Amino acid sequence: MSSDAAAGTIDHHFDPTTTTGIPNKKVLMWAFLASDCMFFGCLISTHLIYRLHPPPGTLPAKEVFSIELTSFSTFILLMSSLMMALAVNAIQKGNLKSMRWSLLTTIFFGCIFLGCQVYEFRNFVYEKHLTITNSILGSTFFTLTGTHGLHVLVGVIWLSGMLAYSFTGRLTEKQAIDVESMGLYWHFVDIVWIVIFTAVYLLEYI
Amino acid sequence: MEAIAKTDFLAKGAQPAKPFVLWRPTAKTGLVSWLTTVDHKRIGFLYGISGIFFLVVGGIEALLIRVQLAVPNNSFITSAQYSEMFTMHGTTMIFLVVMPIGAAFFNFVMPLQIGARDVAFPRLNAFSYWTFLVGAIIVNLGWFMKDGAPDAGWFGYAPLTTRNFAPTHAIDMWVMGLQLLGVASIAAALNFIVTIINLRAPGMTMMRLPVFTWMTLFTSFLIILSFPAITIALIELMMDRLFGTNFFEVSSGGLPILWQHLFWIFGHPEVYILILPAMGIISEILPTFSRKPLFGYPIVVFSGASIGLLGFGVWSHHMFTSGLGTVATAAFSLMTMAIAVPTGVKIFNWIGTLWGGHLSMRTPMMFALGFLWMFMLGGLSGIMHAAAPADTQQHGSYFVVAHFHYVLIGGSLFALLAGIHYWFPLMFGRKVSEFWGKLSFWLVFIGFNTTFFPMHFLGLEGMPRRTYTYDGNMGWNLGNMISTVGAFILAIGIGIYLGTMVYTYYKGERTVKDPWDGRTLEWSLPNPPPEYNYRVIPTIHARDGWWYEKRHKDEIAKEEAEHAKVEDAHGGIHMPFQSIYPFLAGVGILIGSIGTAVIDPASHAQYPGFWGPKIAVTMAGGAIMIVSVFLWALEGSDGYHIHLNDDGSVKGEEAHGGYASKH
Amino acid sequence: MRFPNFSNRLGRRALAAAALAGSFLLSGCFWLDGPQSTFDPRGPVAREQLSLFYTTCWVSLVIFVVVGSVLAVAIIRFRARSDADLHAEPPEQHHGNPIIEVSLIAASVLSLVIIAIPTLREIWLTYDIPEAERANSYEVTATGYRWWFKFDYPNEKALVPDATGKLVSAALTTGSELVIPAGRPVHINLRTVDVIHSFWIPKLAGKVDMVPNRGNLLWIEADKPGYFWGQCAEFCGESHALMRFRVIALGPREFNDWLNAQIAPARKLPVDTASEGSRPKAQFAAYRTFKRNEPGYTGKFDVSPLDAWRAQQLPATDEDPALIEKGRQLFKTKTCIQCHTVRGDDASGVTGPELTHVASRTTIAGGLLENNRDELHRWIHAPGEVKPGNTMWVTGYLQNNIKLTSEDEDALMAYLESLK
Repeated sequence: MSSDAAAGTIDHHFDPTTTTGIPNKKVLMWAFLASDCMFFGCLISTHLIYRLHPPPGTLPAKEVFSIELTSFSTFILLMSSLMMALAVNAIQKGNLKSMRWSLLTTIFFGCIFLGCQVYEFRNFVYEKHLTITNSILGSTFFTLTGTHGLHVLVGVIWLSGMLAYSFTGRLTEKQAIDVESMGLYWHFVDIVWIVIFTAVYLLEYI
Repeated sequence: MEAIAKTDFLAKGAQPAKPFVLWRPTAKTGLVSWLTTVDHKRIGFLYGISGIFFLVVGGIEALLIRVQLAVPNNSFITSAQYSEMFTMHGTTMIFLVVMPIGAAFFNFVMPLQIGARDVAFPRLNAFSYWTFLVGAIIVNLGWFMKDGAPDAGWFGYAPLTTRNFAPTHAIDMWVMGLQLLGVASIAAALNFIVTIINLRAPGMTMMRLPVFTWMTLFTSFLIILSFPAITIALIELMMDRLFGTNFFEVSSGGLPILWQHLFWIFGHPEVYILILPAMGIISEILPTFSRKPLFGYPIVVFSGASIGLLGFGVWSHHMFTSGLGTVATAAFSLMTMAIAVPTGVKIFNWIGTLWGGHLSMRTPMMFALGFLWMFMLGGLSGIMHAAAPADTQQHGSYFVVAHFHYVLIGGSLFALLAGIHYWFPLMFGRKVSEFWGKLSFWLVFIGFNTTFFPMHFLGLEGMPRRTYTYDGNMGWNLGNMISTVGAFILAIGIGIYLGTMVYTYYKGERTVKDPWDGRTLEWSLPNPPPEYNYRVIPTIHARDGWWYEKRHKDEIAKEEAEHAKVEDAHGGIHMPFQSIYPFLAGVGILIGSIGTAVIDPASHAQYPGFWGPKIAVTMAGGAIMIVSVFLWALEGSDGYHIHLNDDGSVKGEEAHGGYASKH
Repeated sequence: MRFPNFSNRLGRRALAAAALAGSFLLSGCFWLDGPQSTFDPRGPVAREQLSLFYTTCWVSLVIFVVVGSVLAVAIIRFRARSDADLHAEPPEQHHGNPIIEVSLIAASVLSLVIIAIPTLREIWLTYDIPEAERANSYEVTATGYRWWFKFDYPNEKALVPDATGKLVSAALTTGSELVIPAGRPVHINLRTVDVIHSFWIPKLAGKVDMVPNRGNLLWIEADKPGYFWGQCAEFCGESHALMRFRVIALGPREFNDWLNAQIAPARKLPVDTASEGSRPKAQFAAYRTFKRNEPGYTGKFDVSPLDAWRAQQLPATDEDPALIEKGRQLFKTKTCIQCHTVRGDDASGVTGPELTHVASRTTIAGGLLENNRDELHRWIHAPGEVKPGNTMWVTGYLQNNIKLTSEDEDALMAYLESLK
């Protein structure tokens, strides 16, 4: 039952040392994501409450948001999730090289997403004159998407750290659970973005 | 603690070669051993003494309030000081007393009750404690500063807490401190959830869990799901204060009612976070001292779950006077009444436990019975609040103060005091004197009722809360005087209680193992338990596992012998290495919080551009925290193995890498 | 030291019961009809709320007696009689009884239904004036300031002289004392200019909060003419405890008289320059000095507050027109007009309470001090000592550097006292 195994003989879905068979780190990550769910839920609720009760003189959101750019960045983030899933799959099969490439593309896409966000923020501030302090729409929008962006940034740093670690020789198939937990986090950040995209950008269309 | 001190065996040389920053601390005694501990029992102890220290602090704040209110138009303290007192009294008692003492029990007792050797993530556990301590420091820093302590009430309603009306750093410290306390609570709760789900001994099915462990689980779920609401509220307030955003800025269309909603979406589950552990403790003590199992175990567990779940649906009963509208008011009114049902069910089951038992009236039982009576009263005044139209006369008055002190002191605190008495022999191997214990009980009981029962009447006679003075022609004089006298009786009672505990810790009579003829697993251990908890992980055959073991000694002995052999063959008992990084991360957080909350933003004249002392200190703290977390990740979840002799003493040791081991 | 072995178990139980009952009974010795007591409702809203409270009380009492008795019996009947008992075989290890559980749950739900039904009815009843009575209702707007209440009468028109001296319409605004018609429902719009306040007149209705950017409402009705105490019930800063107000309900004729008096601009007494010389008589100020936190009321007032209010409507007998005129000028030069409105005296500030008829109020300083000579002097002499942090002191006196000599104070007081 000891986990000395050649590639492929580890059961990545069952950990015999735990009562339920689910690895501790996975349960931890799921519980943490439940908490983060409530966290984003409250932020999104704040934004929606103010969107649906705008004070007089508020910029109409349609004039500010660019659905095209945001659709593009959403697509990029979705693709990064695909890459992340591939990375997890690779390490579970012991394929370190494939995992590294997948991680790299995940990071790359994540950075494109962040770049789009930065571009969008600058555009809103300088061209559309929507800042974090000059209106409620600005405050709630930038706080919400900024917090999400921070989550993406933390993810990118974590991914980069994992990528670097993979070159030390200490990241093997046995440590796949670490990559899998990271993947769960990354997918969560992606799903939250889908919700934000819908609730913020597409609100008037639904 | 002596057994822990004796396992002083690990040599540094036993660790595999690695860079200096990744060396694992090995001290088992002294300051370093406490700063680097990952042992759930030590961490529980740290939470416990912190909670007790703040009990004294919060109690002094309360006494100052009561002296000021003893007579009308008193000038004992000023209005500004009074505002600090009631704010800090509330914040301290909730976040720095009841929650940490609860956490002390979760940490110490729960892993023992499920047959585990520690929690799932020992370093995260230590991090929770250090972050808690940093939060406690930040929230109390104002006492030592010109800006003063936070003074806008423990629920800090906007816009009173915006820069407009609270221009000093007092509220910044409140916000930052509370934020950190939330982080600490969430981290701890995540740990407990994984532990209870995944680290149970073989045979310990969920429906065999001790009720205290169930309540730990529910409380932890409540924490991770409710704290995000206050996290967001605090972030929004902080951003308004630091960056000039408009979340609660009235002139830009901000809605203060949003603060209320977010706060109470957290705030109501918070009070269940405060009471569920207490209910768990009572559910252990009553069966033990009645010598009968808990009556209706499944329904008590289910009630706990219902209370937790329904607790998310009643938050606006704190806002009945905010103009919610008829439909919302009706909905929350009915939900609040509904939540009385599972609460009542528990009381019925506790009484059912007593019925037909052999009741042993020792001190823990006295506190537990006191809990039953007082919590009943508090619950009934809660039902009175649930009727929203009647509540509009009670809200914001001393009636509410009476209600929540009945459930918080009569409920939570009584149960925690009971628990300390109850588990003291297990934790420290000494028995608390019955005389002094009972004396403290009676003084606390009488003092508590004398203080808070009159407040029901004061409230119904129109005395609002959070008022630093009142006129003498309102009919409130006698009630306030009685209340103040009661407060001093209560203080003496608590003082005797704490004094007794301290005395017993150093000089108390030693006790045998399992002095109360307990029912749950923790009593099967020596007192105090050794660092590794169980020689052999027990196999559970029934609810009240230890009660079963005592009555099936031969079967258990055989099982144990077999399992001991199996465990030894697998390499022995796995113990986690200690680590300095949770503590260092806490230090980074402390520095960063001081930067955020305490330091003034740079004036542009002195520091043109982005950089200034505030940014520098905040980033320095943040950097220390990030580096600590990074090294924490790098050092890995390594541990070492120990093998035991027949008498429980440790044979030898060998270090190994964490990932390869099974245990 | 061994705990005394109370073989007299009865004695110990009696002690406990006595201690408990003692503290409970003591609390009952309260004055249940104090000025803000909810046990003494004087209007339909408060009465309905009280009767709902009594319903919850009765249900709670029944539950407490029933459950408490079972608990008491259990404690008495099943306690171990001796040490030996403790080591005896444990009793039968019962695990539960589903029938008992279910019936207890059913009983709990039933008792809650008994509370829920009147609750629902009252929620709708107390929220806004019943349809049938809306035609007869009276409208007022109450606005919370730190730390006083402003009252606007949107359906009334006050009079103020314009530049030519012609009387034109203006809003009718008063402060600190809300005068309403008795026997009619009053619809109060609740507003605030700064933080959250709460408007509470316990004898007339439960409170409703004044929340920024939120239009809350409260309805009240006084059965009969009367005088009622009110207080802010949501922490709003340093002087929250001192943010108080009064409500005076008057019969239709008296209310009309009051309205007419309020609508008129500020009272002006002709200064007789011919006789007595135009030098104002100085008042020999033998005012009381107050310690901080000293009460602002006298027991005399409480004997019959409504009569005291009626007496307050009449002008004082020792008015000195020249002194009053001097005070009127000082009111301008000392910058009081920047914050206060006195219709007809070039004073139209809105930061502080409206003072056109301030002398007709029984309280000053936001419902805090009885409106008599000593207290008025106390207030204008050092407002910061009376109400910590108040705007008149901080923004008025300190920022505008207002300095008053005792002659100034005499004159100002004479002026203010003349504003009936």
